[in-house]
Amino acid sequence: MSGLSAEVRAAIEAIEAGPQGPSVGAFFDLDGTLVAGYTAATFYGDRLKGREVSPAEFVRTVVTAVDGELGGDPTKIAHVAFSAMRGESEEAFADLGERLFRSKIAGTVRRESRALVAAHQRAGHTVAVASAATSYQVRPVARDLGVEHLVCTQLVVEDGQFTGATDGPMLWGRHKASGVRRFAKAHDVDLAQSYAYGNGYEDVAFLSSVGHPTALNPHRDLRSAAARLGWPVLDLTDPVGGSLLAAGRTVAALAGMNAGVTAGIAYGLARGDRREGRNLAVKLATRIPMAVAGVTLDVLHQERLWTHRPAIFVANHQSSLDIPVLGRLLERDFTIVAKKEARWDPRAIVGSVVIDPAWIDRSDSGSARATLDGVVERIRGGTSLMIFPEGTRSPTPVLGPFRKGAFHLAAQAGVPIVPVVLRNTGELMGRSSLVLNPGVVDVCVLEPETDWSTDDMSERIAALHAKFEATLARWPS
Amino acid sequence: MTTEDFERWGGAAGWSTRADLTPVETLMWRSERHPVQSSTSVVVIDLDRAPDWKRLVAATDWGTRLVRRLRQRVVDPVVPTAAPTWADDPTFDLGYHLRRERVADRDEMLAQAAQLALRPFDRTRPLWEGVLYELPEGAAYVLKIHHVLADPLGTVQLLAMLQSGKRAHTARKPVGEVDDPTSVDPVELALTGLRTDVAALPEAALDAARRLATTRPQTVLASALRYGASVRRLLTHAAPASPELSPRTGKRWTFLTLDAPLEPIRAVAKQGGGTLDDAAVALVLGGLARYHRRRDSELAELPVGVRVSLDRADDLGNRFAGAVISGPLAIDDPVDRVAAVRGEVLSLHTERALEVLDAVAPAINRTPSFVGAGALRLAVAPDAFVTTLPGPPRKRFMAGAQVEGMYVLGPLPGAALTVVLTTVGDTACVGVNVDASAVADVAALEECLREEVGSFAVGQPVGPT
Repeated sequence: MSGLSAEVRAAIEAIEAGPQGPSVGAFFDLDGTLVAGYTAATFYGDRLKGREVSPAEFVRTVVTAVDGELGGDPTKIAHVAFSAMRGESEEAFADLGERLFRSKIAGTVRRESRALVAAHQRAGHTVAVASAATSYQVRPVARDLGVEHLVCTQLVVEDGQFTGATDGPMLWGRHKASGVRRFAKAHDVDLAQSYAYGNGYEDVAFLSSVGHPTALNPHRDLRSAAARLGWPVLDLTDPVGGSLLAAGRTVAALAGMNAGVTAGIAYGLARGDRREGRNLAVKLATRIPMAVAGVTLDVLHQERLWTHRPAIFVANHQSSLDIPVLGRLLERDFTIVAKKEARWDPRAIVGSVVIDPAWIDRSDSGSARATLDGVVERIRGGTSLMIFPEGTRSPTPVLGPFRKGAFHLAAQAGVPIVPVVLRNTGELMGRSSLVLNPGVVDVCVLEPETDWSTDDMSERIAALHAKFEATLARWPS
Repeated sequence: MTTEDFERWGGAAGWSTRADLTPVETLMWRSERHPVQSSTSVVVIDLDRAPDWKRLVAATDWGTRLVRRLRQRVVDPVVPTAAPTWADDPTFDLGYHLRRERVADRDEMLAQAAQLALRPFDRTRPLWEGVLYELPEGAAYVLKIHHVLADPLGTVQLLAMLQSGKRAHTARKPVGEVDDPTSVDPVELALTGLRTDVAALPEAALDAARRLATTRPQTVLASALRYGASVRRLLTHAAPASPELSPRTGKRWTFLTLDAPLEPIRAVAKQGGGTLDDAAVALVLGGLARYHRRRDSELAELPVGVRVSLDRADDLGNRFAGAVISGPLAIDDPVDRVAAVRGEVLSLHTERALEVLDAVAPAINRTPSFVGAGALRLAVAPDAFVTTLPGPPRKRFMAGAQVEGMYVLGPLPGAALTVVLTTVGDTACVGVNVDASAVADVAALEECLREEVGSFAVGQPVGPT
């Protein structure tokens, strides 16, 4: 498996070699462990931006935070925040949690943490997020990871509003440890065989509750304690936030892309062959920027990209990077379907000149069908089609449901579907990020599927979706 | 058996030959305020019969020749420019250090032992006293020893080394090499210390200047702040003292002893993922929880002083730090309680200031003794100190009498009780020193501790397997 460090691979192998089944627990801390950084800071930042924080509360928060750093009670800051929430609606706060997850927090989930969670899930372990954070911070992350159980701080809600108090102690330090022990008892989990992952100095009691503790990207003090206690330390790579260098390279890459397009089009005009010009433009417009940005591809079964043309290529979608990556893979004689609204998007203009997309008007079904008829004609004429069946970019690598459009087109045009699984484009370029980071994109081309018809389409789509998920969960080598 | 004895005795001969007191020992020595900040421990050894007195005297005489430290006294420089040092006591008189008495029963013996412990040492003589108490049935040997001479761990090791594996007399025992007695003059000691300091001064100044020039102030400040934060957490984050265990004067010591089979305690420790130390703390907490319930006192946690290894967590290394944890009182299941104690103790390993006493002792030792005494009092005293000690693993004999139990009764530096669990063969010998001015009902406390020992011993406790 490329993309995972040797240490993480060894940890996953150890999980696979160890005991399996629900009596083994796997407990993950949230902040700093599953996600890089603090979700509470994201929430507080949102409150600050919305000017919901009075100057007095702000000063109190800062003083409490500094006092916590200087050896005071570090949980006090959370209680300051909780009491400030008195009277707020729980529903609105839960919605805020979902919104912040999509816009900010999803991008901070560590890929290798995800791989560890998935390894425990494959082993059938009872996986739980154990955190001092509230369920509004934890739940969206847990759901995204497919984790059912939460062991976290509960806020008291009366008539749909927060009272400002917590139900029981904040699950920090010793209280998190006892929360985990209680959970283990209630769910028949054998702690001696279980796993726990945490990063803060306050996590020692929590980690020591299980037989297999791991200090994950530990803070300074936990790192020294782990060394003294003989606990394994695992350092995961953080989702790249976009360095200045990466930003500079992105600008250069965009310039390279435009230069490539211009050169390709010019070549086409000079030779009087628009198609060749387009193909060259695609080639230059994808290769130059990726070379500049330091992005390379690691493709499994590359030959399958060529055996069944024309075809409809379907891929999972996480990032703006997906389009140049696919352009680079398909190389020539292909186009995409795009919604009409995107036609005048300044970023799309260059692309639309190059690959001449089939524009569809989703608001007008008659016109949509007419466009699609045209597309079917084009496919039959030898132009392959590239479609993201999820419709939109997912905030995380978790696969969304597939729409049927691509498969109807395959049935109508009588061409095969070639599935392309992309693994880590979201890592290199976040969902709403404009910065491209250097790295390796993992691509796996699955077996092309032929003979599509409307009769068994739903079952076949479901089966293909499952294949995508399986490939993402366990990358073939 | 005999070869084993010889090996052990050979080890005893090499025991503690260091000339100076360590900084922490120095701090203890200079800041002692007897008995409140006493460094005196007592070891009670139950014997199956009264040993032959002459043989015991001869054996002790032999032991003090083998282990030279037992014939040495501490010499302090007239001004604290140097560490105190060990010097042979030319006036050593075994008759002063070893005597025998007759008592009516074991309770009287324990009461007498407590009185013995409360009397301050003659600081100009070797820092130990042994009393053989002859009971109507059996006997007890009580050793009073100063922490500077040996900490409780060292004392138990030393006693175990000096005991014999068989009842009969061993005629040809090894004898320590006899050097000329060293004599040390307090004034000369102070002058030497001063000379060393003056000689080292330019080097130290240069060193400090060099360090100042090469380190970035931000780094120093950040590191100092982190250290300070750690000190503050260590001093303040434990639970407040229990009102049921006050007022503490430290002047009324009462000794209790308890026996427990070791195996069930080890089993509970293992199930809770902890060590025997963790189990001992959990056991004392269970007893204290019972005591608080009995006195209708609702308390979730109280501060307990524990020993933390400064090397790896599970090693019985030589470097320990004392620290205070919040001991849970509300957990009924012993296994769960062990796990909770384990978590608290391991959490201490994230504190960079854990070795704070080691770090500051040399500096404090240059100040007048009342400063050191104040520094030791700075830390919040826990309600109880709990430690465990490894005793002899097999049957041992003292001058022909079989050792049936070994109980260590440690000092009470501000705590309401000090509990030491010593493993002797397959038995846990628990010695409890109680501040009778703090504990309103000592008999009830003893009963509660016994009940808790029972709940550790009854079969296999419930919990995850």
